[in-house]
Amino acid sequence: MDFIGAYSLGNLLFLLKGLGTTLLVAFIAIIFSFLIGSILGILRYAKIPVLSGIVALCVEVIRNLPLLLIIFFTFFALPEVGIKLSVTMAAITALIIFESAMLSEIVRSGLNSIEKGQIEAARSSGLTYMQTMQHIILPQALRRMVPPIVSQFISLLKDTSLAVVISLPELLHNAQIVNGKNVNYVIPTFLLIAVIYFLVNYSLSLVARRLEIKERTNRKSTGKVLPAKHQAGEMMQ
Amino acid sequence: MISFKHVNKHFGDFQVLTDINLEIKEGEVVVVVGPSGSGKSTLLRCINRLETITDGELMVNKKLLNSKDTNINDLRKEIGMVFQHFNLYPHMTVLENITLAPRKALGISTAEANETAMFYLNKVGIPDKADSYPSQLSGGQQQRVAIARGLALKPHIMLFDEPTSALDPEMIGEVLDVMKTLAKDGMTMVVVTHEMGFAHEVANRVVFMDHGRILEESEPAAFFSNPKEDRARLFLSRVLNH
Repeated sequence: MDFIGAYSLGNLLFLLKGLGTTLLVAFIAIIFSFLIGSILGILRYAKIPVLSGIVALCVEVIRNLPLLLIIFFTFFALPEVGIKLSVTMAAITALIIFESAMLSEIVRSGLNSIEKGQIEAARSSGLTYMQTMQHIILPQALRRMVPPIVSQFISLLKDTSLAVVISLPELLHNAQIVNGKNVNYVIPTFLLIAVIYFLVNYSLSLVARRLEIKERTNRKSTGKVLPAKHQAGEMMQ
Repeated sequence: MISFKHVNKHFGDFQVLTDINLEIKEGEVVVVVGPSGSGKSTLLRCINRLETITDGELMVNKKLLNSKDTNINDLRKEIGMVFQHFNLYPHMTVLENITLAPRKALGISTAEANETAMFYLNKVGIPDKADSYPSQLSGGQQQRVAIARGLALKPHIMLFDEPTSALDPEMIGEVLDVMKTLAKDGMTMVVVTHEMGFAHEVANRVVFMDHGRILEESEPAAFFSNPKEDRARLFLSRVLNH
């Protein structure tokens, strides 16, 4: 084991560059898969004839394929039909396809978890479907979705390392190159990137926990932290 | 105000309502009683189309309920509904619960909606709970908020679907008192309930249902002292003598 050699400035900078790629790919994939996953989840929840069925079929197929296969597909198969993607684009596309399917299921089950009585109360007071969605279903469902969505984001971030197979220069890939220089670097390098993955992902789950706790205290508050708009009601009493 | 003519409803092969004929006039309080699964709640839920009827004619406020020309959202604004499990919105304060539909469905200003909400919260006796969340209230208080929420639309009709069935016994009284006041004020009310005392005291008419049919329709005094149908007599003996 050669910690000093493995942690030379050049190696560290090279690994940091890998981390940069990992974070960039994960960030773009998270944004797009969240948007697409939400839309797909809502479409499936809304039970629109034909459309919801097609969405369900696609989601089920993708969810049951290994991500690695999808990465191979976007990088090696798409060029065969004339779509040539760079390594980074192929990795991002594969992640978006896979994670959108996973997230759409989280969104759908979050929406489904809202009791029927809530919807009936809203609709029976003359609110339209869209108003009910906007004011009753989505705000409650989103709160329930935060923990599973964040763990899906953590999965996504870790899964970027699968793109090592198409030589995306991300953290694990760069670690392997450092290891290739000297067999004594292997353990120090793996230890270091393990710590990096852990710190990044753990801080994500800390943010999620913070959000959850904040949410819980908000709902149970006894009127001490109410926003200003409620004050009108108090004055009238 | 509400008129059922030969209304049938099926859930798949199962017939829930059979040949329902019922007229409810403005200002009337009609209490629907009957054993579980007799179709009482379904009958009530047809009135604001939470359930659709299979055939027959159902008129509410001179509008045909199963017609394409009827804007169901507009019609629902004229009908308040109170549920067994309150169905308050847990992520909103009491005030927001009450003002949501007036603001979004009727389009009135927040200030005016708040004023109306406070008026009805006073009426149900809990103006001090305006800024609480539903989870901070007792069941009885939650149900009173739900009644205020229904009233805030200034509806012509109020529907009550077993409003006291999910309440602790000591909270039933406070909800029934609010409903009695409402009846005295002349509100048209259709109430599905197991509270025979309430039916006896407040109802203009009692409707007895079993197996999806209306078996008897009488004034409460007549219904409770001398029910015409054997099935109604059996039902009363079971609910009154325990």
